[in-house]
Amino acid sequence: MSTSSELAGALAGQPARKPAGRSPFRRVVTNQQFVLFVVLVGLIVFFGVRNSLFFRVGEFSNLLTDFSGLILIAIAETYVITAGGIDLAVGSTAAVTGVVAAGWIQPLVSHHVNAALVLLLGAVISAVIGAAAGAFSALMITVFRLVPFVATLVTYSAGAGLALVISHGAPVGYNPGAIYWSATGVSIVTWLVAIVLVLSIGLGLILHLTIYGRYNFAIGSNEFAARAAGISVRRHLVSVYVLSGVLAGLTGMFFYIRSGSGAATTGVTNSANLLAIAAVVIGGASLYGGVGRWSGTMLGAAVLTVVSDGLIFINVPPTWIQVVVGALIALAALLQTFRRRGGATGRTT
Amino acid sequence: MTTVEAQQPVLELRNINLSYGSVVALDDVSFKAYAGEVIGLVGDNGAGKSSLIKTISGVNAPDGGEILVDGVVRHWRSPHDSMAAGIETLYQDSGLAPDLTIGSNVFLGRETRRRGVLGRLGFLDQRAMERGALEQLRRVGITIPETNRTVAELSGGQRQAVAIGRAIAWARHVIILDEPTNHLGARQSGEVLKVITSARGQGLCVLFISHTLPHVLEVCDRIIVLRLGRVVRDAPTTEFTVESLLGAITGLNE
Repeated sequence: MSTSSELAGALAGQPARKPAGRSPFRRVVTNQQFVLFVVLVGLIVFFGVRNSLFFRVGEFSNLLTDFSGLILIAIAETYVITAGGIDLAVGSTAAVTGVVAAGWIQPLVSHHVNAALVLLLGAVISAVIGAAAGAFSALMITVFRLVPFVATLVTYSAGAGLALVISHGAPVGYNPGAIYWSATGVSIVTWLVAIVLVLSIGLGLILHLTIYGRYNFAIGSNEFAARAAGISVRRHLVSVYVLSGVLAGLTGMFFYIRSGSGAATTGVTNSANLLAIAAVVIGGASLYGGVGRWSGTMLGAAVLTVVSDGLIFINVPPTWIQVVVGALIALAALLQTFRRRGGATGRTT
Repeated sequence: MTTVEAQQPVLELRNINLSYGSVVALDDVSFKAYAGEVIGLVGDNGAGKSSLIKTISGVNAPDGGEILVDGVVRHWRSPHDSMAAGIETLYQDSGLAPDLTIGSNVFLGRETRRRGVLGRLGFLDQRAMERGALEQLRRVGITIPETNRTVAELSGGQRQAVAIGRAIAWARHVIILDEPTNHLGARQSGEVLKVITSARGQGLCVLFISHTLPHVLEVCDRIIVLRLGRVVRDAPTTEFTVESLLGAITGLNE
């Protein structure tokens, strides 16, 4: 193709829009992950200086557990948001699975069936219920063409209501035997936390290193281009919402194991949704889809966990925590705008 | 191209119909296309050009009619099937995923997996794809310094070069180019037309869709005119002038 060798010069050789933020210093400073890491360390030091109890080993174990309760739904949200959607139903799905699993498991625990077996069964039940909730959202999105915001709002509402109906608004199936996994472990890492962390790392690898993750970003970046490249967009989107539901279901089981009972308070439901989406946004993902990183979400979730717990240590009333979370989201969004103006990020359209 | 008429058409459409609800987009469209031929596909907005190429590439399923590749009737369940049959399409403006790297875009839908167990688990060999993309693009005359940048970081001309390069590199029979010279300057457009000519030299059949009639008259062997979903003219380029082509497109001279 000698005739077209000039195309290189004519098309490719012309200067690209030179990103303004290409200087090494500015690139590092505007890198969301780097900024988050600095903020995270700063927050830990700040809370520790204000109240030395924050540095106790026991508190660190607490932080790890709170972090673990957030990351599964935050990662679920990362998959959904980078694919160009949103899932408002993770909190209520967790609430439903929590009370249902608690109701089913309680008699087994009381009959001294092997604890690990019971909890494994509970996890499977939770995953299946979560998958059903995700499939319901996916059905409304792919078949009935509802926008993800509305479709998952329906699932959220149905789930939140259902959880209250099942539980009659009270904690379900309290049994101290259920907390077996959250009470034992290696050093400060309980089995529960260890399982969640391993699962999270696996999900991170899938998102960034496999074909499944590649299709996820391709669809979020340009759905038509993905379809034209032969990717089955509908099938992928169904699987993403089902995955999100499964992870939300497992989070419900997580809370059950942690507290020994399933609770369906709307406070928990709402704040889980808010924190999961906040972790993703603070982590640098674009709500337009196509842009986001697992590591960003993990850092975002860590910052949120430290802030939520740390504020209590310095005697800030818990009611203020949501305000602070809101401020953090605003800061992250501002940083993203600044970065985009600097041209250091990929997305322009 | 009178010599090719005796050959088997590489692509043939027979009585293709397509409607969106009550709107008829394609009405009994038939034509034959041969290897080593550049066919101009022209028509006013809403004439059915986009619907036609989406039908050929498998994005739309026709309501009726047949698509034949190398004389065999084919049914596309998805664009994947048409790609596997050697048909590549460059869509107007929207064929690339801006947040993915150049390499990931060139291999979109055809990802290279790692060897062994990891590959079977779906793990990608990103380095092989970046290297492969560089080679693929260079083979069709496009040199991009690094393929691990996202498409969003490229200029309009560079994006178009990547999109055209990807299509030509993978095409085995037919390449469909929808407005490839849109948003390009005169010099860049000239280079795209050269690429089309050399694709013909490689024995590909090129379907060239454009509003820029001088480009169509310059590079095409044959021109098919669509109006309101119907083929109203199908004739060698030599039978057209800009004026008569405009007349056929608008239907004002009839």
